Amino acid sequence: MEMDMYDYDAIVIGGGHAGIEACLATSRMGFKTLLITQSLDAIGRLSCNPAIGGLAKGNLVREIDALGGEMARLIDNTMIQFRILNRRRGPAVQAYRAQADKFSYSRLAKETLEREGNLELFMDTVVDIIAEEDRAVGVLTERGWKIYSKVVVLTTGTFMSGKIFIGEYEHQSGRLGEEAALGLGDALREKGFHVGRMKTGTPARVKKSSLDFSKLEIQHGDEDMRPFSFLSGKVTRPSLECYITYTNEKTHEIIRNNIHRSPLYGGKIVGKGPRYCPSIEDKVVRFPDRERHQIFVEPEGVGTEEMYLNGLSSSLPESVQHEFIRTLPGLESAVIMRPAYAVEYDYLDPLDLYPSLESKILKNLFIAGQTNGTSGYEEAAAQGIMAGINAALRLEGKEPFVLKRSDAYIGVLIDDLTTKGTKEPYRMFTSRAEYRLILRNDNADSRLTPLSPLVKEERRMALERKLSDMEEIRELLKERKERGKNGLDLLREPDVTIESLSIPALERFSSEEKEEVELDLKYEGYLKRQEREIARFEKSESVAIPEDFDYDSVDGLSQESREKFKAIRPRNVGQAGRISGVRVSDIAVLQVALRGLKGGK
Amino acid sequence: MATYETEEKIYALATPYYPSALAIIRVSGEGSIETLSKVFSNGERLLKSKSNTLCHGYVLDGDGNKIDEVVLAVYKKGHGYTSEEAVEITMHGSLPLINKISLNLERIGFRKALPGEFTYRAFMHGRLDLTEAEAVEEIVSAKSEEAASGALERLSGNLSTAITVIKEKLIDILSSLEVQLDYAEDEILEDWVYPEEEVREIISTLDRIIGSYDASRLYAKGAKVVLAGKTNAGKSSFFNALLKENRAIVSEKEGTTRDYIEAECVIKGLPVRLFDTAGLRDASEEIEKEGIERSRNLMREADLVVYVTDGSDDNIPLQDERMMVIYSKLDEKRKGEALEFSSVTGEGISDILDAIANHLVGKKGFDGDISIESERQKDGLSECRSILSESMAHQDVSVDLMAISFQSAIRSLNSLIGDVSSDEILDNLFSKFCLGK
Repeated sequence: MEMDMYDYDAIVIGGGHAGIEACLATSRMGFKTLLITQSLDAIGRLSCNPAIGGLAKGNLVREIDALGGEMARLIDNTMIQFRILNRRRGPAVQAYRAQADKFSYSRLAKETLEREGNLELFMDTVVDIIAEEDRAVGVLTERGWKIYSKVVVLTTGTFMSGKIFIGEYEHQSGRLGEEAALGLGDALREKGFHVGRMKTGTPARVKKSSLDFSKLEIQHGDEDMRPFSFLSGKVTRPSLECYITYTNEKTHEIIRNNIHRSPLYGGKIVGKGPRYCPSIEDKVVRFPDRERHQIFVEPEGVGTEEMYLNGLSSSLPESVQHEFIRTLPGLESAVIMRPAYAVEYDYLDPLDLYPSLESKILKNLFIAGQTNGTSGYEEAAAQGIMAGINAALRLEGKEPFVLKRSDAYIGVLIDDLTTKGTKEPYRMFTSRAEYRLILRNDNADSRLTPLSPLVKEERRMALERKLSDMEEIRELLKERKERGKNGLDLLREPDVTIESLSIPALERFSSEEKEEVELDLKYEGYLKRQEREIARFEKSESVAIPEDFDYDSVDGLSQESREKFKAIRPRNVGQAGRISGVRVSDIAVLQVALRGLKGGK
Repeated sequence: MATYETEEKIYALATPYYPSALAIIRVSGEGSIETLSKVFSNGERLLKSKSNTLCHGYVLDGDGNKIDEVVLAVYKKGHGYTSEEAVEITMHGSLPLINKISLNLERIGFRKALPGEFTYRAFMHGRLDLTEAEAVEEIVSAKSEEAASGALERLSGNLSTAITVIKEKLIDILSSLEVQLDYAEDEILEDWVYPEEEVREIISTLDRIIGSYDASRLYAKGAKVVLAGKTNAGKSSFFNALLKENRAIVSEKEGTTRDYIEAECVIKGLPVRLFDTAGLRDASEEIEKEGIERSRNLMREADLVVYVTDGSDDNIPLQDERMMVIYSKLDEKRKGEALEFSSVTGEGISDILDAIANHLVGKKGFDGDISIESERQKDGLSECRSILSESMAHQDVSVDLMAISFQSAIRSLNSLIGDVSSDEILDNLFSKFCLGK
């Protein structure tokens, strides 16, 4: 039996980090939105590590914030430890990372959605996308609801045909104890989507009171807790400690002796896992000479006993997990509360997406998050906000909002996914960005707030205030004279810092503002060089290729490039050139053909 | 990835890279005339020249010495083939001179044009009134040339190995920097230490390669190849077959007797001076003796002696690095074991040319210059060297800036090793470092 429900402008499937940003974007841009999730209790869950941010990822969070997203404010209000990473490795690549109180984070996420005016939440499982001709027009749910909308955003995370593995045990779940979303993957396969399998894993959670803290190294947070959001004021939150311990030969021996019981090595898991975040069995097998591996013991929240064993993800049987975990100093009597497990799930090939994250297969369907073969909360949220904004722009009948590689890490992320695809769960790294000195975490607001169709007045004002403050700081610096130089020139010297100049008039400005001025000066030469490179880069980005361009009509393209162009349908000449295996001469032929079009010949 | 664009000043040889009476090098792009005037004997006049006029003088090298007497055809913006500011340099068609002037143009800021790039620019400036298809065709026909150029496998064994080692070392160093930037200090505990010894090693290898390029007589002056063998063994028919394949210039040496014939030609991109000697026959007359003596001298100085025989000789010389034996008749018994050709059909000539090029290049080790491309490659090597020594002098800069140095060092070698993608760095990083909380 099927029932029709009231129609919406937008339907967002999935209440994870991508879904949260997507539904907030469409509703905040004025469209009546429905979020459908399998569990209202699981909105914004941190399924794996209890932390937000990190290198490159921290930049993503601040970019999401600058665009008008929610992730930064969620973590600002729920963090239980804050650190700036890699300060001394180069100010330009330092990043924020915060431990989160998982339970508060998820609760705050749900409450934020509940408070949003144009947004309704509904608990059910989507089993199919309703399509009319080549466009998505709604969803069909497990309980038989047919709900119609003008646009649909799909964010299924690890739930689409998700299957978890713990040694010989397997179950159809997206997370331990939560049922997988069955049916949708097959329904999409039938519609012609390219569906693949990927794998990821998570470590065990152990009981805090069963650990011997005298044997663990303590890892403190920074005293100065900084907000991720450009709108949050000072953060006053409890700062909890994390701990460090190490595996040893005994641990490795147990793992080696039981390696055949791992579904990863037994061939049961076919999905590709991430190389940057291997399971402990992978580390032991691939790096046999390493005597020990570092393990971080992190609290999952303020009031909870659950502690997360970062670095120890595994799919070995529970009894083996018990055995090897207890070989770690401080964990001799550890009690496991949740076991480590691997999860394998369906993902959709991101090459089937336009850079707006709209599907090339079904119009008005936007896809974001882990469904596109990425990993990480931040990567998911970044796609979520872009998919949400673009779904809303579609409803407004406007051109899509696409960030360039020179604008943001988000631009790099989506360009990589939609131009090159991915073979393993895609994680953001600073080395993926060509212009990382410019894509800093401190200037995300000046880079992105002016571009975003989602931001409100409040955020624009905040940016203006900051920019005028920075201008004032520079003026004050100019007035400062020492050794025949003014403050600006002094700051260009490597050993001089804005603090060391001790200018009393600067005290009223925030350290963030002062540091940004300082960085801009210290890196001036490099920044100018990158800006020149960007100017060159943007030229070829600006040569658009019409969506219906007929590659078959172009003489002289190599067969391989022609096929790739037809499959990926790049938006501009720059993107065409980044497709792997495409040759310089093919790009030239393409440019000439495009010029021919423009000339009306 | 290299791209076709219209911003930079470019140059290219417009005539074939073969010895000839005259050659034309074309330069194009905004500022070309001013830049060129810096190395022109009459710079003032060039700057004042009107469009579509000629200007006579000399191209000078970095020290102000004359390289060649030339005539410049000057085109101001809106004129000429590309419709950009451009100059056509008409010069003497000697390969060493062409190489020298090309090198000089790169020194002052011209980039060697990509295949078809002039046509591309002409089209983009709306200059070409051709149909679109014609312009495309020109770029496409240049493709085969591009496919053959710049690849590592074209380099000789030693050089290719040395470059591959440098590439791997640089990728390792860059990975060790990237891992510091992509993972936090609590995961990668060790601070990055400048790999001074390794960089020193890379620099010294670069120096060796650059040095041998500079010294390379093969490239600068062409290789000397002497044809030897008994009279009527087939030398002349080989020589003539070669001339048919290669547009070569033949000059008969004057003297009391016809000692040898010299021809300048290009074998697989390598400039070669080919000598057909008088033949090693028993000398009876005094005058013949003198000729044979000269032939012997020539053979002593040669980079390679190609001994031609019809198979009837009793004492065919043993092959070594300076001696190659070829047969002037096809014979089933020798098939696949020896180099042979048919003077009637020309069959086998191409294989012999390959063998000659390999012999010359392989023997010289690093002296693997086999085309004008190498000038660009050499510049890449020099640039890489200077970036590395610069980084060595500033070892205390932060890791994010150090990474930029090594990225540029790798990029400077891209004409030799191709583009290195960030995925390649990440692949290397994951294979070398055990990562992941």
